[in-house]
Amino acid sequence: MNLKRSINQVAAIAKTDFLGVLRNKTAIFFTLLFPLFFIVIIGFTFGQSGEEGLSRIAVGVVNLDGELVAVNVTDSFNSTIGDLFVQALESVNFTVTGYGEYGDRDTNGTAAYAISRGDIDAILVIPANFTETLSFQYTNNLGVPVATKSHLEIYVDPTDTTGALITQQSVLGFISGFIKEYQEIALKQAPPDLKAYIEVVADPLTISISEADVTGAELQWIDYMVPGTLGLVLIWSGLNHASMTIATERTKGTFQRMVIAPVSPTVVLLGKLISALAIVYMSAFIMLLSGVLLFQVNLYWNIPVIVLGIFLGALSAIGIGLIISSLAKNEEAANSISVIISVPLQFFIGAFFPLSIMPEAAQDFGEALPFTKLVNAMQDVMTRNLPFDAVIPEMVYLAVSGLILFLVGTIAYRISMRRL
Amino acid sequence: MNDIEVDSVTKRFEDMVAVDNLSMTVEKGELFGLLGPNGAGKSTLTKMISGMLNPTSGTIKVGKYSIQDDPMKVKEILGVVPQDIVLYDYLNAKENLAFYGRLYGLSGRKLKNRIKELLQFTQLDEKAMKRHVSTYSGGMKRRVNIAAALLHEPQVMLLDEPTAGLDPQNKHALWKIIQSLKKQGKTIVLTTHMMDEAEELCDRVAIMDKGKIIALGSPSQLVKKVKMENTITVVPDKTSPSLIEQIKSIAGVKNAYTVPDENEKRETIKVITDNPDDILPDVVSTIVNTGTKVLSVQLSRVTLEDVFIMLTGRSLRE
Repeated sequence: MNLKRSINQVAAIAKTDFLGVLRNKTAIFFTLLFPLFFIVIIGFTFGQSGEEGLSRIAVGVVNLDGELVAVNVTDSFNSTIGDLFVQALESVNFTVTGYGEYGDRDTNGTAAYAISRGDIDAILVIPANFTETLSFQYTNNLGVPVATKSHLEIYVDPTDTTGALITQQSVLGFISGFIKEYQEIALKQAPPDLKAYIEVVADPLTISISEADVTGAELQWIDYMVPGTLGLVLIWSGLNHASMTIATERTKGTFQRMVIAPVSPTVVLLGKLISALAIVYMSAFIMLLSGVLLFQVNLYWNIPVIVLGIFLGALSAIGIGLIISSLAKNEEAANSISVIISVPLQFFIGAFFPLSIMPEAAQDFGEALPFTKLVNAMQDVMTRNLPFDAVIPEMVYLAVSGLILFLVGTIAYRISMRRL
Repeated sequence: MNDIEVDSVTKRFEDMVAVDNLSMTVEKGELFGLLGPNGAGKSTLTKMISGMLNPTSGTIKVGKYSIQDDPMKVKEILGVVPQDIVLYDYLNAKENLAFYGRLYGLSGRKLKNRIKELLQFTQLDEKAMKRHVSTYSGGMKRRVNIAAALLHEPQVMLLDEPTAGLDPQNKHALWKIIQSLKKQGKTIVLTTHMMDEAEELCDRVAIMDKGKIIALGSPSQLVKKVKMENTITVVPDKTSPSLIEQIKSIAGVKNAYTVPDENEKRETIKVITDNPDDILPDVVSTIVNTGTKVLSVQLSRVTLEDVFIMLTGRSLRE
């Protein structure tokens, strides 16, 4: 009997809260349409191109130079010039991230995985014989250096044609400069009688440029952006709505009237949670549908994982919203705090721009946000068609942060009950 | 039998004492008024009775339940009409009532019938009720506000300034609703700072000031505490001792005399009585029958406002 009554109360609160959004033009705009407005503007502006004009190109380096290589039947592990090469790369405005192996797009922690999710723009593989080749260690029986080539591999992101071209040219430009400098030093150090010979030998690099294995389909930036905007949904529909709901009811007095009815605080909270979740899912549906209809994006629909991801992410958003709503003095204060948090936050979640173009501190901040984890997970699942296993780390992060933030939100809500 | 028992209740907000060691009881079926200026502690007291605030000390019982020990039981038998209109303005009246009804455990046909009954009881037009509350007049909103508190047929009602901001017509319409609630046997606590409302509606009135009850009794008992009398002041075109004697002989007249009116350079007749409304026609006809013209008549009644001024030296509206 009591359970039936509580369910009836939860349903009444959720329905009333939900109607509060549907029947309020301003709320509809900010909760449902504002994220859509964003996707349309940014999608049409940048959707068909890429990241051209980026001043910092993120290069993932797989430096194999220290690995075992046989030189004149002797084992060598020398990585001196490979390390110098990486240092030089870092000094000319590239953002360099080191990886242990090239790997594949489904294996987290590998360079291929990073480029497939847009974390880096290119991969540079430095071969194991890099130092040995460039320091003329390969000799004939007479001890005279022989012409040996070291093969550098460059991989670019094929989903962004223009961006890949810029990246490719930038990396090639750097390598060319490095070789030129190397040749000058080699020639200076060469004995006079071998100068002519060294001039031929000291062209030790061959370079290949390949497309990284991002996905089987031909993808564009918008294909990543559409699932990425689910992060925006959490911010604008989850965080923003939740931050207003209790503050508004407290300002209007309806919250007090709920409190004087035989309704437990938990029932009120559950009603608000269900309403907020309904709004988040509705907004997510509108966003994804609009993305499909407006930009013809090619997405994979792993519905259970998408629903689960949104739910876990929404817990964080609603938790933060509850904290704001409970602690703000009134509706206006809650609105101001919410806008101050939401507006900058949306640029740190990697939905529109890759975090790699941001300063390191901003990247760390963005990576710590649960909304960024949702963006990453949804891009993996919906754009790259990765299975659930591939996004388990993100899902665990979302679950833990969601539970913590929702718990803190609940405590803040309970505290706010004392000042009716 | 008491429906509300407030025993030695104090409420402090940091250094400020809003309710100061206050005790009172409200009998079953009684319409009890809490009268006092803003800041007297009326709203704090009603918030504690309704469970919105916890007393710093003391105990409160509603029906047979303690608000501290059995808050849910108290909420089941209590209907609260807040001072502000507390409705969702994006819902219509029926949707608002359905929402509050469901909070009180009503559903289905029972809820539907109860809403219909209340719309009739509060004389709300069913067609108009389909519009959003934001389009209603102040009087309509007030009536929906009251209906929302009646859905679960509460035994005890707290009405916090239910007629605040209403025009006289709507105010009297709401008074009729409150009087019919009393006729239904409900126990009602009415907070107000309008003395006419307290005099018209309440069986007993507690006058509050600075968190304490400074006077308690029926409106007539309280009025008697003031050493002032009800007076009929008549300005005739002429007076005579015989006219004064004739007025004195009217049943219900305690005294009659003339005082000079310096401005008009004529005499004014003062008639002292307990029932000025009842004897006014006799006084006027007595004067007119002597061939004297009546230029003006004024009634001066002792009110609860006078009681409050006598007790505190301040007006209710200060």
